Amino acid sequence: MPKKATKPKRRLREKRTKGPKEIAKAIEEIAKKIVREINSSKDPIFVTKTRGRSNVSFDEKTGLIKLGKKTTARNFLNIGHARKFMQTMLVMAKTHEYLKENKTAAIREIYYELKHTLGESKENTFEDQSESDACIVDVEHAVDTIRERLNLHANPKGSLYGDITLRDRMHNNDTFNCLKLGRGGWSIMSRMEPEEIEIRKVNAKFVLVIETSAMYERLVEEGFAKKHKAILIGTGGQAARGTRRLIHRLRYEKKLPVIVFTDGDPYGWYIYSVIKQGSMALAAHSEYLACPDAKYIGMTLDDVERYNLENVTEKMKEGDIKRAKEMLDYAWFKTKEWQRQLKMAISKKIRIEQQALANKSLSFVADTYLPEKIKNKEFLD
Amino acid sequence: MAKEQQIDITTTAEALAKEFKEHSVAEFFKKNRQMLGLYGKIRSLTTIIHEYVTNSLDACEEANILPEIEIKIDELGPEYYEVTVKDNGPGLTKEVVGKAFGQLLAGTKFHRLMQMRGQQGIGAAGCTMFSQMTTGKPVKVISGTGNGKCFAVEISIDAKTNQPKLSNYKEFKRNFRGVAVRAKFKEVLYKESEQSPLEYIRRTAIANPHVTIKFTDPSGKKHIFKRTSNKIPKKPKAVKPHPKGVTVDDVLSYARSTKAQKVISFLKNDFDRMGAKALEEISKKVNFDLNKDPRSLTWEEAEQIVKAFRETDFLAPSTDTLSPIGEEQIKKSFQTIVKPEFLSVVSRKPKVYAGGFAFQVEVGIGVGGEAGRTLANGEKKAEIMRFANKVPLLFDAGSCAITKAVQSVDWKRYGLKDFENSPVTVFVSLVSVYVPYTGAGKQAVADIDEIVEEIKLALMDSGRRTSRYLAALRKEREKQMRREAFMKYIPEVSSALAKITKVKEDKLKKKLEKLVLDKLKLEELEEKIEKARAEARGKEVKSNAKESN
Repeated sequence: MPKKATKPKRRLREKRTKGPKEIAKAIEEIAKKIVREINSSKDPIFVTKTRGRSNVSFDEKTGLIKLGKKTTARNFLNIGHARKFMQTMLVMAKTHEYLKENKTAAIREIYYELKHTLGESKENTFEDQSESDACIVDVEHAVDTIRERLNLHANPKGSLYGDITLRDRMHNNDTFNCLKLGRGGWSIMSRMEPEEIEIRKVNAKFVLVIETSAMYERLVEEGFAKKHKAILIGTGGQAARGTRRLIHRLRYEKKLPVIVFTDGDPYGWYIYSVIKQGSMALAAHSEYLACPDAKYIGMTLDDVERYNLENVTEKMKEGDIKRAKEMLDYAWFKTKEWQRQLKMAISKKIRIEQQALANKSLSFVADTYLPEKIKNKEFLD
Repeated sequence: MAKEQQIDITTTAEALAKEFKEHSVAEFFKKNRQMLGLYGKIRSLTTIIHEYVTNSLDACEEANILPEIEIKIDELGPEYYEVTVKDNGPGLTKEVVGKAFGQLLAGTKFHRLMQMRGQQGIGAAGCTMFSQMTTGKPVKVISGTGNGKCFAVEISIDAKTNQPKLSNYKEFKRNFRGVAVRAKFKEVLYKESEQSPLEYIRRTAIANPHVTIKFTDPSGKKHIFKRTSNKIPKKPKAVKPHPKGVTVDDVLSYARSTKAQKVISFLKNDFDRMGAKALEEISKKVNFDLNKDPRSLTWEEAEQIVKAFRETDFLAPSTDTLSPIGEEQIKKSFQTIVKPEFLSVVSRKPKVYAGGFAFQVEVGIGVGGEAGRTLANGEKKAEIMRFANKVPLLFDAGSCAITKAVQSVDWKRYGLKDFENSPVTVFVSLVSVYVPYTGAGKQAVADIDEIVEEIKLALMDSGRRTSRYLAALRKEREKQMRREAFMKYIPEVSSALAKITKVKEDKLKKKLEKLVLDKLKLEELEEKIEKARAEARGKEVKSNAKESN
């Protein structure tokens, strides 16, 4: 088992996040700039960072996916931009209000709060939530923060189990230990900022991130957390922002090593990479969300032979193969081991699920597979 | 015995003939009500108005008088109306009035090759019969010739003899010129629709710009359509068939009724545009002697003549046989009555269809403004106005060649993306010495290729002009929409910015508005400069081309 005091090779201090006052101020600055433009009869322009692959790159040094410096300007006097400009201003004003009044809202709520008919027309400020969601992303990027810092949040997903004590500062300062909440553990919230959820005490040696809920439940039932002093986090597929934020905080605030356990297929491996290096969609926020030294424990295609799981592999679908081929080209999968793994998947056209380990026995994963690999530091890197 | 028998036979024949005659008029009418357009409650009333108005217009034009017609419809009870029509025509004499209003098929229009409104002379007498059958009452007619003497008379039809019955004849003094008729009808209904008398009158006014019509509807509302032209259309002439396109059967039937003694004189006298040169060519092309009696022409010989006609050049039929409305006249009346935002009118040259009959097509496309048919909910639909010899065709649109031609045009190409739901009025007027109606109801033009093609060409020509206008309009509308979009967003933007920065919202709003308007003005200016440049370039190209020539 890795020691609690494992020193990450790279910088382990969390990027300093802006406080509500600073963010409100940043919004004010953007608004003031636009007002100045209007007053001096210049085109009112809103500037934000360009998203998408053209402006995303992998930073070898930090091990993070990062957003480039390209910016996008939205000019109100351009009829093609005018509507979105108007919508962005509405979102800006509303989040500014949330920050000032210390309120939080779901992204669906801000959509409903801002939706109304424009004057006498049949046009609405927003026709559907995708429009306001896009503006939220624009504002996040313009202010250089995450939406949670704009007091907004999306639907939560993910579960937490283990000897960890949290305090909900937004809810009577409820303080609870996640080992004592029953088998389900604690539902990870969408907003996992330190101002709201405080990590009081952790009695663990590492964090185990698990892709499928079924495997998470299996490990809870097997008493894995207690036995191995582990914090279990079930992502239920691709990890939500709150879950990623929590993993990031456990790594940086509590210095716990992070181990990722997913299905042995391109989809599972990509879940791992998002936790480790960040995602392209949220490239700007990798510093808040990613853990560049997270370790991958399995499943790997080597496990198939090693544990005699040939009978319980699945055929890869066309889409999976295509995905694997794409991933071959991603800079953050360019390591020797990962290239070998991906190529193996492409040539063998098989995948292996976490639960295939039950072929040995239900407790095999908790008693043998994981402890053995952790002990021998058998990680794919 | 033999003599007795003979007498007997004669008596029987006479009796039969008499019986046949007695029944004939009433029977004829009943059987042909459908054909005459006197069926359907709304349609019947429109047809009645049509018959009276047509008579009045023809009479006025014949006498070179600018027509002024007053029409009044009063509701006497459920499906019971009184119709009054008064004109300023030459008036009728006592001798003629009976025939005009009290004898079916007495007209002079039947079987004449000439552009006329009616072609069957069932008109006014048909209405008398209809009135008589539904109310049992005679029609009242007043006539004056403008010399101070007038007479009033009540007319009905003796169904047995098809003879007019006049009663209550009265002479009196009044300075009135024209004919006024008043008749009562049951089984009819006044309802404002696309096929109502009002629509009939409106369309009559459009196609007859020299006519003033005043109409008082059953609710007492007055509709006045003033003339927009003081020119009385020239009188159409009776005309001979044109050699191009006559059929073998036509030639044979003309040959049977000709006064000519020889085929050569038959050809010379009985066909339009037949010159000496053409005759010479024809004589070379046929293998029989053109000096033979036309009545002895065989089918084969007639076939040779028709073939020779086809291969010989003739002048187009003389245009003075037709009396089109005229481009300017259509424009004026269309503008006054339909009030479109844009109008393009095309008057085509006369053409010939199958039987050698001259015809001419005039079309107008009106877009925007009050053009199009307005539904009760305010929505606009496309409106197609069909006219044959200046008479509006309101019924049987589906089986009409005009409708077919309008529908065959690819309106999308002319900027009307959704033709059916566009604010557009399409006006199509066909004048001909012989309009090929599909039925005796005279409400639909038969589907004859030459006519459909000609209408289509006219519409396409007019459509091209319309599309240019629509493109400019669309651009203008786009600008308008952009301006409106900006104006919609400005209050939102200024309120949002004001909330964040605490700047005065009003001030911000005004500034933004000015900014947007300046920007739009600038764009307009740039557009103008660009346009001027493009024009200058065009001129340069032209002058260069001239130089190189």
